[in-house]
Amino acid sequence: MTPSMQPSGEMITLVQPLIPALRRYARALLRDRDEADDLVQDALERAIANWRQRRRASSLRAWLFTILHNLAMDRLRRRARRGYPAPIEDVPEARLAIPPTQETAAAQRNIMALVARLPEEQRSVLLLIGVEELSYAEAARVLDVPQGTIMSRLSRARERLRRLMEEGEAASPPSLRIVP
Amino acid sequence: MNDAPVTEAEIQAHVDGRLPSGRAAAVEAWLAKYPDEASRVASYRAQRDALRAALDPVLDEPLPLALDLRLREGAPTGRPGFGRSALAASIAGLLLAGGGAGWTLRGLDAQATTGTAALAREAAASYAIYADDRTRPVEIGADQRRTLDAWLSRRLSRPIAAPDLDAAGLRLIGGRLLPTEHGPAALYLYQNAAGERTALYLRIMKSDDATDRMTRRDEDGLRGWTWADDGLGFGVFGAASDDFLHSAADMVRARYRQS
Repeated sequence: MTPSMQPSGEMITLVQPLIPALRRYARALLRDRDEADDLVQDALERAIANWRQRRRASSLRAWLFTILHNLAMDRLRRRARRGYPAPIEDVPEARLAIPPTQETAAAQRNIMALVARLPEEQRSVLLLIGVEELSYAEAARVLDVPQGTIMSRLSRARERLRRLMEEGEAASPPSLRIVP
Repeated sequence: MNDAPVTEAEIQAHVDGRLPSGRAAAVEAWLAKYPDEASRVASYRAQRDALRAALDPVLDEPLPLALDLRLREGAPTGRPGFGRSALAASIAGLLLAGGGAGWTLRGLDAQATTGTAALAREAAASYAIYADDRTRPVEIGADQRRTLDAWLSRRLSRPIAAPDLDAAGLRLIGGRLLPTEHGPAALYLYQNAAGERTALYLRIMKSDDATDRMTRRDEDGLRGWTWADDGLGFGVFGAASDDFLHSAADMVRARYRQS
């Protein structure tokens, strides 16, 4: 990726405010700060290169998330082929998404660890709707599926996560433990 | 009227707070009758809140230099990182989309780049980008109002403050600093009890445009009022009615003339 392409003033104005949310989604998918930021950089380069091709009449946010999501899926597939070195729970603390702060840190790591156990297609929907607050129509665009599919994936993701949380509570009260 | 059977998709939309109010009430009533379903909804909401709590700190991290578009080598310069004509053009192209889905872009038209007409477009564009943001609409919240006012005053080189608009039912959420081709601008966001947001936008005007009468604006469907007093330009924009925005604008102008 060449960092030499230059964004227009217009693009800076419109895209810059959305970068923190792009980082958040990338971090949630990859759960590695450096790799996630690298991914966002890739996505921004693509956005700069294709700025004129975007459809002006539709949501810029959905367009950017689409680019980011597709690049993330490429990376996750490459990771899977390489046999990514560790199951997500074993990634060293410092590389994880969540800066450890106070006593909530453990619970937050736990929710991320549980989300990591969802099938990819469910995890993306959960994040795009629940965290990024995309509309259902925008999420359907990003994932290139009908809106009905978004709703059914969302329903399955939430129910599955609920069961995982309940199992966790039953397994080791009072605090959740996921690592076997 | 709203007694159709509750669907699973509606339950999900209810978790997300995206049902029309009439239907939300119907789903609430239904949930009251089925405690298992109600606890399922509560659990889904708790998941979402936990996820946000885990991930939102990313938003507060400083942006790595490699991700800051304003710092790109060769990026248009002048005011920190912003091109003049490009910015004016981008602002002309923004409009607020109907419903809660956010904002979209339209073709760019050549438009005036000075006076309160330019300010109106900037204010409307800022509203379109930030007012709809439920997570991070402002940089500094109303809980740090003094810090916010002091910071914006310093950056605009002019004493400004978020006026008290309680009389209009508007509560300050906070504010942020914005770049424009005419220099820094301040955006204050207010919210009413229903969660509808109104923006107050301020920046320094060029000496030619130092004073301008109160003017009604319609920026691609987003309505508001602009004026300029003694070198300071104002815009009040929002989704509320014309009359409401006009009286809010009058209130702001009165507060500033008093001070």
